[in-house]
Amino acid sequence: MSTPVLAAHAVTKHYRLGKREIPVLRGVDLTLQAGERLALLGASGAGKSTLLHVLGLLDQPTSGQVCFDGRPVHDLPIAERARLRHAHTGFVFQFYHLIPELTALQNVLLARMMASSMTGYWRQRGAARAAAKALLEQVGLGDRLHHRPAELSGGERQRVAIARALLAEPRVILADEPTGNLDSHTAAGVVDLMFSIQQQRGIALLLVTHNEDLARRCDRIVRMQDGVVLAEPTGT
Amino acid sequence: MYRLFLAVRYLLTRPINLLGMLGILLSVWALVVVVSIFSGFLVEIERHVRSASADISVGDLPPWAEWTPLERALRDDPNVQGLARRLVHYGMISRPGERPPTPPLLGRTALHGGDQPFLLLLGIDAAAERDVTGFAEWLQHPAIPADLRADPQAPLAAPDGRPRVLVGLERLQRDGLRRGDVVVLTSGRLLDGPEGGRGLQQITLELVVAGAFKTHHGGFDGNNVFVDHGVLRTALHPDRPDGVQEIAIRVRDLDGLAATADRLQRAVARVLDRGDDRAFGRVVTWREKNGQFLASVEHQRGLLKIVLVVIMVTAAFLMLATLSMMVTEKTSDIGILTAMGGTPGGVLQVFLACGLTITAAGTALGVLTGIVTSVYLEEIRQAVLWATGIDLFPLNVYNLDRVPCSLDPWWLLQVAAMAFAVGGVVSAWPAWRAARHDPLVSLRGA
Repeated sequence: MSTPVLAAHAVTKHYRLGKREIPVLRGVDLTLQAGERLALLGASGAGKSTLLHVLGLLDQPTSGQVCFDGRPVHDLPIAERARLRHAHTGFVFQFYHLIPELTALQNVLLARMMASSMTGYWRQRGAARAAAKALLEQVGLGDRLHHRPAELSGGERQRVAIARALLAEPRVILADEPTGNLDSHTAAGVVDLMFSIQQQRGIALLLVTHNEDLARRCDRIVRMQDGVVLAEPTGT
Repeated sequence: MYRLFLAVRYLLTRPINLLGMLGILLSVWALVVVVSIFSGFLVEIERHVRSASADISVGDLPPWAEWTPLERALRDDPNVQGLARRLVHYGMISRPGERPPTPPLLGRTALHGGDQPFLLLLGIDAAAERDVTGFAEWLQHPAIPADLRADPQAPLAAPDGRPRVLVGLERLQRDGLRRGDVVVLTSGRLLDGPEGGRGLQQITLELVVAGAFKTHHGGFDGNNVFVDHGVLRTALHPDRPDGVQEIAIRVRDLDGLAATADRLQRAVARVLDRGDDRAFGRVVTWREKNGQFLASVEHQRGLLKIVLVVIMVTAAFLMLATLSMMVTEKTSDIGILTAMGGTPGGVLQVFLACGLTITAAGTALGVLTGIVTSVYLEEIRQAVLWATGIDLFPLNVYNLDRVPCSLDPWWLLQVAAMAFAVGGVVSAWPAWRAARHDPLVSLRGA
């Protein structure tokens, strides 16, 4: 078996609430292979989102290891973790988290701006705009480039968020309840789009959900309860 | 790249940030305009004081000081061009048959000094005075009407034997005096009594108004009258024909004024040396003589600067409030920026750039509008006067031709630096708060 693109080894995470220490993750082991589609299923409070944040280097484990391409990355300096996050990981959240002052195109382009200096971006701005436009066209928003988030529907906003996550050409997409805020019809459209792009580009996808139907469309399902992984991979 | 881009977008889409910029703009504008007016005023005041002063004055002379040896010693100095002796005394003038006006309450003297009855009587030798001060020009000032002008060649000459007096133009006009009118000078002198005590002897002199004089210094015009030296000496010190109380000196080279004053001080000390430890006579430059007055104006400018800087700090708090509000509203953005690879330092720079952009825009506009306002201040005053009838800066109060203004590039730099420092500090706190915000809090919630 090849080296997983992303892996968690005996990861624990405790939060301190006053004098109490609350365990959220209790020795989680998880692997995500390149191009794999993995569903992380569990009830609210099971620790799914926390695990996703730890795997996405947004949060550090209390103990255990997070490895990227087999290399431990969880205790890298903050700037290095930010660079890895930008270069290899795309996030899609339940509440889209688009920047309301920016148009759809600018929200997507922001991902490229964050990787470049002012002169560097200025030199490659044409290519960056072309790539962002192409992505927005691919998610069906070619005619909504200059609309602000407030002028877009929930489904359209999530499509912009997907395009934004893809612009940096990540190897992993971490999606936290991406359809949790959408009606079933719109959700189906967004999921179809996400899976199709993921398949085309060979990106590994970790999908946090508590929707069984959605989870069944993934290659593997990992169930979590009270901070521990309950079941090992099951094929679809 | 994204830091500046986001900062500009945040600012352009949030007009409330204009409030902070407006606060900085107004305070910088006020610091430029008010201080430039005050600096211009200070320059004018100095010019006015200078116009009414001799280059160097010798004062604090003892009662037994004599003019002849002092004149000889002072003329020996190579930088002395001219000398004039003066008698200085206090008195009041009134019309014949009228009582002198009541003295004012303590401290009630205006800038011009023209509204209080006590006058400084300057006993001068008109010909000598012309050589050491602008005396000749004071008699020829364009503001003096022809019927109030004295004879420029011999303004205090008394061909009919009746002593003459020259009065400041404003006082003359206010009292309704004309050339040829008779006024009564009331004064007094201390006399040694027969048994060692001292008594005050009243002196009353009838003087004929010879005309008006006008310097640029309203305070001097309001407080002084000129009388012939011989007339005053005869009235005050009939027993000391060679007596002197003050000497006015003109120098050849103004660059060496302080050094000349030092040399003259030594020369005066030598002449007045009586072999004991006491030193008599004080030699001062025109600036030293008026030092307290000039320092008081300078002090007022300093106080104004402090008040205006406090206003700038207050304005900066407005900016702090708007920036803090923005950070609170933007916690969701902080979460996604971090997820996209932003660091706390990057987040800090976004919000710091917002504050510094506001500061830079406010400062630049404040300095620019301040300079334009200062340069066209007189035109603005006239326009306001024409449009509303309100005179923002009554020139006659300060004896000025136009609103004074002096722009100092060094002060402009200081104001800009202060604005940046204050803006930087109030931007740093919200930016620091943004950088410390836990991105997971906003990513978890809506």
